[in-house]
Parts: sequence; structure tokens; C-alpha cells
Amino acid sequence: MTLEPIFPKILSVRRIPGADPALLRAYGADPGRHTSLGLITVDQDDPTYVALDEATKHAEVDVVYARSFYAGSAHASGALSGEILGVIAAADPAEIDAGLDAIIRCLEHDACFYAANAAGTVTVFPHVIASLGRYLSAQAGIAPGSPMAYLVAPPMEATVGLDAALKAADVTAVKVFPPPTETNFAASWLSGSLPACEAAAMAFAAMVVEVAGAPRER
Amino acid sequence: MNELHTSRTRELVAVLRRELGGAAPLPPPPPVPEIPLPPARIWPTESHRSSYAERTAGHTTALLGVGHCGTRYHTDLVLQFQAELAVAHGAVATELEADWAEKNGLLPLHTRVSSHREFLLRPDLGRRLNDASVERLRAEARKGVDVQPILADGLSAVACMGAGMELLGHFTRACEARGLSVGTPMCAHHARVWLEDEIGEIVGAKVAAILLGERPGLGTGDGLSAYLVYHPKVGNTDGNRNMMSNIHARGIHPNEAANKLAVLARAMIQQQTSGVSLDLRPLLAELGDAVSGKPQAPQARVRLVEVPR
Amino acid sequence: MRGVNLSVSIRGVSWRFQSVKEVLAKANPPKSGDDLAGVSARDPVERVAARAVLAGLTLGELRRSPVIPYEEDELTRVVEDNLDESAFSAIRELTVGQFREWLLSERSTGPLIRAISPGLTPEMVAGVCKLMSNLDLMVAGAKCQVVVRANNTLGLPGRMSSRLQPNHPTDDVLGILYTTREGLSYGCGDAVLGVNPATDTPESTAEILRALHDLRLRNQIPTQHCVLSHVTVQMKALDLACPMDLMFQSFAGSEKGNRAFGISVALMDEAYDKMRRLTTNQGPNFMYFETGQGNALSSEAHHGADQVTMEARCYGFARRYKPFLVNTVVGFIGPEYLENGPQITRAGLEDHFMGKLMGLPMGCDACFTYHASMSQDELESLKVLLCAAGCSYLMSLPVGDDIMLNYQSTSFHDIPSVRRLLSRRPTPEFDAWLNHVGIMKGDNPGERFGDPSVIR
Repeated sequence: MTLEPIFPKILSVRRIPGADPALLRAYGADPGRHTSLGLITVDQDDPTYVALDEATKHAEVDVVYARSFYAGSAHASGALSGEILGVIAAADPAEIDAGLDAIIRCLEHDACFYAANAAGTVTVFPHVIASLGRYLSAQAGIAPGSPMAYLVAPPMEATVGLDAALKAADVTAVKVFPPPTETNFAASWLSGSLPACEAAAMAFAAMVVEVAGAPRER
Repeated sequence: MNELHTSRTRELVAVLRRELGGAAPLPPPPPVPEIPLPPARIWPTESHRSSYAERTAGHTTALLGVGHCGTRYHTDLVLQFQAELAVAHGAVATELEADWAEKNGLLPLHTRVSSHREFLLRPDLGRRLNDASVERLRAEARKGVDVQPILADGLSAVACMGAGMELLGHFTRACEARGLSVGTPMCAHHARVWLEDEIGEIVGAKVAAILLGERPGLGTGDGLSAYLVYHPKVGNTDGNRNMMSNIHARGIHPNEAANKLAVLARAMIQQQTSGVSLDLRPLLAELGDAVSGKPQAPQARVRLVEVPR
Repeated sequence: MRGVNLSVSIRGVSWRFQSVKEVLAKANPPKSGDDLAGVSARDPVERVAARAVLAGLTLGELRRSPVIPYEEDELTRVVEDNLDESAFSAIRELTVGQFREWLLSERSTGPLIRAISPGLTPEMVAGVCKLMSNLDLMVAGAKCQVVVRANNTLGLPGRMSSRLQPNHPTDDVLGILYTTREGLSYGCGDAVLGVNPATDTPESTAEILRALHDLRLRNQIPTQHCVLSHVTVQMKALDLACPMDLMFQSFAGSEKGNRAFGISVALMDEAYDKMRRLTTNQGPNFMYFETGQGNALSSEAHHGADQVTMEARCYGFARRYKPFLVNTVVGFIGPEYLENGPQITRAGLEDHFMGKLMGLPMGCDACFTYHASMSQDELESLKVLLCAAGCSYLMSLPVGDDIMLNYQSTSFHDIPSVRRLLSRRPTPEFDAWLNHVGIMKGDNPGERFGDPSVIR
């Protein structure tokens, strides 16, 4: 049914309490500050980026690595690969546990894609982050604690949707990722007040649903 | 963590869903697709039988090559199956008509069973006559005969009322042709196989032969079985009996069955025994496979549902 | 028995029973077979009274009260002489009511139940069964995991297997093979390719075994085969040097009942030993047993006990031989023992639970004869209930119709239907083969599903 949540599947979660320095370096951690890693694979990438950012708000962890896999979870290299591997690093293994708890909580209860048509063949991610963590704020170049609308859809829907979002509220596009992303979607990050981000995100979702229902104007 | 987790985005999307009509009790149906006709069916539409069904038909009556819809059956197979089941259940449920025995000139007897349900649940009561029948048997039946045939309903009154009289008639003549004296023709209602022991004992027959409807199979409700026992008496077990099953038009014909049963009865009297201790070897030429313990050929499966076009 | 309380009062009316055997019988839910035997409760209140008394008996007391005395019955002796004393001592003080709660509690996991299983006697298992509702039986039965190995591995979580039963009224080998090929093409047959023969001779048993073995090798199918003739006939067939993966026998719950089947403990020990030396099966489990409520009474060998307790005693005997398969043929015996759909359903769930609790790889032939009051829909429901309860395997026949034994069981189409409904797969080895030949594609039918020409 349209706009029903599609829940992300957590495919694997592992901890490496005393990681080898070479491994730490290879995945972007600093052996001088970090001893331990936490790893997660999920079948939806964008909710996971949001969840990784969420972890930085609840634990002393850094998101050192997060990459989507080419063409998404439908073309995964194995049953546990999904479409993203996220890695958090910390000085203390207990912080890794707290960080992983926050990630799982966010994936189970908050960030998720939604069906944009009845058949579920078009999906949309119109997510509003009320308060950015250290990870996404650095990526977006805006201050931690700011609100942000994180908008994703397939190429056509995302492009028409972004236009609707920008016109719906007083928001600015801090980043636009035209298609194709690694998973062949298109995305944008919008900044503004929390009500403006919310209005923009919902205008985006409504337009994606509209395009999915009437793809050809001529 | 036991805190209640809420998601602002999920709440916003839920509001949007309602605004877009998602709160209607049922979502609008998807557009009607073109529905292709399914592939032509296999069993039992003769013109469309699968090659596997064709190939296997000479070797088994199992329903093979029937295909599938998803993981389930095609509709015509469902109807064939339900028709076969209805035939079997119908045969079990049918009661012997109250005056059927008398109308056919048979001495009517009744067991201690008082209802059809009790008949199914209490085999012990179906093995003994009620008091009135014992009296009547004592008063009216011929005593001291060689063979006492007993027609009975068993688990298929349909079979009994169908080919029962034919089998009884043939069997009586086949025994007499072999010089055996035959007792009063009789018919027992709500009867089990072992009833022949009590009846045979009362009339003092050398051999008792009960001819009764057998437990129906799928699509077959009209088969008769015959159980013969030498020196019938209450307390005999199945090891004392010889039997022949599958007696009906598509199996062993009543006429053929009657002759073989008479051969068996004469052998019992000659050897003065029956059941496992009866030596069947000298009889094989006359009996064939029918009572040698070898399995019977399957009956043909007939198409039951025909819709005129 | 001294010291055992056999009385209770309900709304001020007191009920007193004469023996543990009487309590066990009267606690049983209604079964036409118990009525026929004259051992059932007269009314629902007496039934509850018996259950209340039963709930207060300890498992130790039940061990001391086998329904047939040690001196009179070799099955009682087999159970008593081989009981695991340390497992028994862990649960001996529990009452039957407490045992029910222990089985259902979250703390009692499958492995924990498995650990106490060797300390249970049939009377304990039958006793707790009588205090359980159908859903209780399913919940507790689903916890018990029994994994056994032959040419494949049966009983793993998330799996449900099936016996392919290609019976033929004249043992026409070609007819048997045609039916087998059709069944395999629906994903059936991972428990066993098992034929009930029409002719009980060593030669015909060997002929069918060879034909099935050849089919299995030709197509490299990871399963096992069996001809369900009398055990003595199979022993002679082994002398004919034929391949035999599983050896079969029907069991009753008393020495006298088994005598009517032509078997004894000594004979089964000999058969087991012979099979251990000569089987072609790759794994450590190679025996196959069938049971069914009412089979002791049908040979007047029930010793005044109810049919659920007699059934549990079959399992006490069966576990001596670490079988690969055990199934109850639940509706085959006829309405004089199980009258209708509800009784057959109840018995299927009871037997599965009791067998699993005693550590057996329990399957069920969910079936009815045409003179029982059961509908096709009720039978289909029972298959779903059994699968949900973790039943190791069901039967499978063309359209569920046994053309030799004249009864209705599970069909080739039912197995993939139930598996998909409840997310079950066949044994892993067989599953891999089905995917390899294209009959299945993961959880779903593959391109060659239902196409017997895929089997050579």
C-alpha cells in the first residue's frame, strides 16, 4: 500500500574489540585514538547513513567508513552483504556496543524507505533529521544539531520531487546527488528550520507518489 | 532500553498517507490486468491429457501427470476428486432398506447394533445377532447344511443391494453344482465379518460364507468381499478365514467369483480346515490369483464428472 | 498403590479412582476407541476429576505405576531397565501438572527438554499429554528438536520433510516408479521413498528396493528408500543382497500386541543388528517405525489401558533403536478408534508431541478412511497444524489417494503448499538437489516443478 514503511533488514552486526592497526588504518580509523570497530550490513543504505549519524549522538564513536554497494541489495555479493557496510570506531569497546545499539534502534524504529506506489515498485526516503550528529553534519558542511531533510528516490521521481520540495518551504539545497548514486537512485540534502525541512520532505514524498502514479504526461 | 521509540518522519508520512487517500478502508484496486487463459488441463479432459498421464495410465490408477496451479490442483481434478469422495462417503452412509431382505426372499437378520453410528463405532456389536434374530434363525433356517451363505451390508449397503443378489445366486448354484447342500438364503443388517461365526454355529453349517460390502475406496463404493470359514464358531479369528475382495463389475465378476468361492468351500470341507492352515496349492488351477494371497489388478479409474457442452 | 492420592473433590462432590491406570484412561479427551475399550470417563466432570488427580501425581509415582506390570510385559521391562537415572532424578519430584508448566515455560528450551527425555517413561509422557490443550501440544512439540541422519539430515529447524508413498495394488514396479517420479517433481520424498507392498515376500521386496535404489542413484537424489514389508521378510531380502536404506516395522504398545504383529524385542534386536551390518544407508539412523492409537485394542492387547498411553508405550520401545523415522498413521485405523475430524486432529497432535518428547524424529500420516467422519478440509487443516507444531515429516501421494490401501492422506501438492505457507524447506541435501534440477528455486517452485520428465 502506498506510503507504507518498508522496514530495513539488518543482515549482520559484528564487533572487533581490539582491531589490528593495519585494519584500522585501511578503514579510515586512527590507531592513535581508536582500538575497536563495530560493523553492520543492511539491505537499505540511506536509512543506515542516518542511523550511523544517530550513533554519534549517543556514544563516543566515529563513523570511519560507510559505502553503498553498486546497484543495491538486489545485486548483493552474498546473503549478508545487503547494500551498505557501515563501520564505527571507538577507543573503548563499550562505546562500540552503545553505538551499535543506537544504530539498530534507529533502523528498527525510525529511518526507512516507504512504498511510493501500491505495488511497492517505486520507493521513497523522505527523512527528516531533527538534529544532525557529527557524521552527517561534517558531510553536509553544516553545524551539528541543525535539522536536515534527507531525500532519496529513483532518478525521475527524485528530480521532479526535489523541485517541489525546494518550492514548498524556505529551505536550501546543501548537497544534490544527481543520478546515478551507487545504488542508481538520486538524493538531496536540504537545510532550513525544522518545520521547513518537514514541509519540504512531505512535498517531496507527495510528488514522488504523484510521478509514480502518472509517469507519462504525454 | 525500555523507552518508547517514536519517529517524527513516520508520523509525518502517516499524515501524508491519510491526505493522499491512504486512510480509506480499502486502497483503490490496481488497474485490471489482462488475464491470460491458463494452459489446457490434463486430467481428465481426454483430448488434453498430458503425455505423462497417457504413458502411466497403463501401469497405475494413481492420478499422475495432473499438473498444478501454483502448488494446488486444477479445477477439473478437484471436481473429479470430490465426486470420487462423494461416491465413497455415499456408499458408507447408505443404509440397507428395511424391507430389502424380505422383498428379495431372504431371511432378514439383525445384529445387536441399533443405529448406523453405533455400527461404525462398535464392531463388537456388529459381530453378534440380536435376540429376535437368534430366535428366528433357530426357528426358520435349515440346519446341518454344508454351506451357509450370508448376504450382508458390511461397510457398503450400496454394494450389497447392487450385485449382492447376483453373487448370492451364482454362489448357491455353484455350490449345488459341486454337490454341496446350501442353507436358507439370508441377509444380515449392520453386519461385520465375524457375524458368520455365530450364524454358522447356530445352523450347524460346515462352512459359513459371508458376502458383504467392503470398505469403499476413492470412487469405488460397490465392491463386495467374501469371507469363508470352516467350522464356524464364536471365537474364530481372521487367521481362520479365507477371503476374496474386489468383487464387482470392474473387478472380479460375481459369476467368476462365485465359482471360485465354491471351489474354496469344497476344499475346506475336504481338508476340514480353513484359513492359514488350508492348503491352496491343489486349487491353484481352479482359483487363479483370486484367493492365493496375490494382489488383485487395479480397477480402471472412470471419469465421474461430465458437463454437456 | 500406597501413598498415592487418587481422589479429588469438584464443587463438593468427591471422586475416587482405583488405580493410576484408571486415572490415565479417564483423563483422556474423548476417543471412540476408549469408549470401545470401556475405559473412558463417563462424562466431562469425571474427566476433569481424573485430570485433577493426574496433575497431582509425581513423575516418580508414574514410573512406579506402568499400565502393564514389569513381570508381565517385555516393553515395560525395556523402558524400566534402560531408563536414564540421572535424567529421571532431575524430574522425579515434579507433579504432572508442574511438568506441563515446566515444558511450556520459556526457560525450558529444546536442548533442555532433550536432556531429560531419556528419563521419561511412556506413562509420564502420556500423562502430561492429557493435561495439554491442542495448542499446548503444538507449542511444546515445536520446542523439541530431533535431528537424525541417514543419506540426508532430517529434523533441522525450518525444515519439513515428506515420505513419498508410491503404493500400487499389484506391486507393478513401473507403476511405482512413475508415481515416484511424479512425487519427486513436487519436491516430495526427502524423508524416504517408502512402498507398502501388496505382496509380502522377500523377492518382491528386493525387486522394489532395487528399482528405487537405481532410480535414486541414476538421479543422484540424496534420500533413502524402504519397502514396508514385515521385518522378517526384509531380513530375508537383505540376504538376497539388495540395497536397503531403512528397515521398517509396525509397533504396538504391549508385548501381546507386538506378538499379533509377529515381533518381539529379541526379534527387533536381531533385525537392528543385521541392518547395522548390511544397510546401504550412509548415516547412523536406519530404522523406520509406524504406530497408531488403537492398534493394541484391535488385537485385544491393551490391558485395560487407554489408547494414548498404549501409543506412548510404542515410542518407549521405538527409542531403543534410534530410528531415522517414526510416524503415527493417525486416521487409518477407522472410526471405532478415532471417530471424526476433531478426534483424529487431537490424536495427530498428541502423537507428534509424545514422540518428540521421547526424543523420536516424529512424523505423521495425517489421514482418514472413507468410513470416518472427517472432511477433506479438516484433513488439510491438520497438515498445517502438524507443520506448525514442528512435525518432522508428512506423507505424500498422488492427490492423497492410496490406490492400494484405500484411504486419504497428504498429497504431492500439499507438501509444497504447506512448506511455503509456513516457510519450511526440505532437508538441506535434498533442497540443494531440488534447486539443482530446477524443481524448486529457493522457497518457490522452479521451472521444472511438477514435471516428472526431469527425473530419469
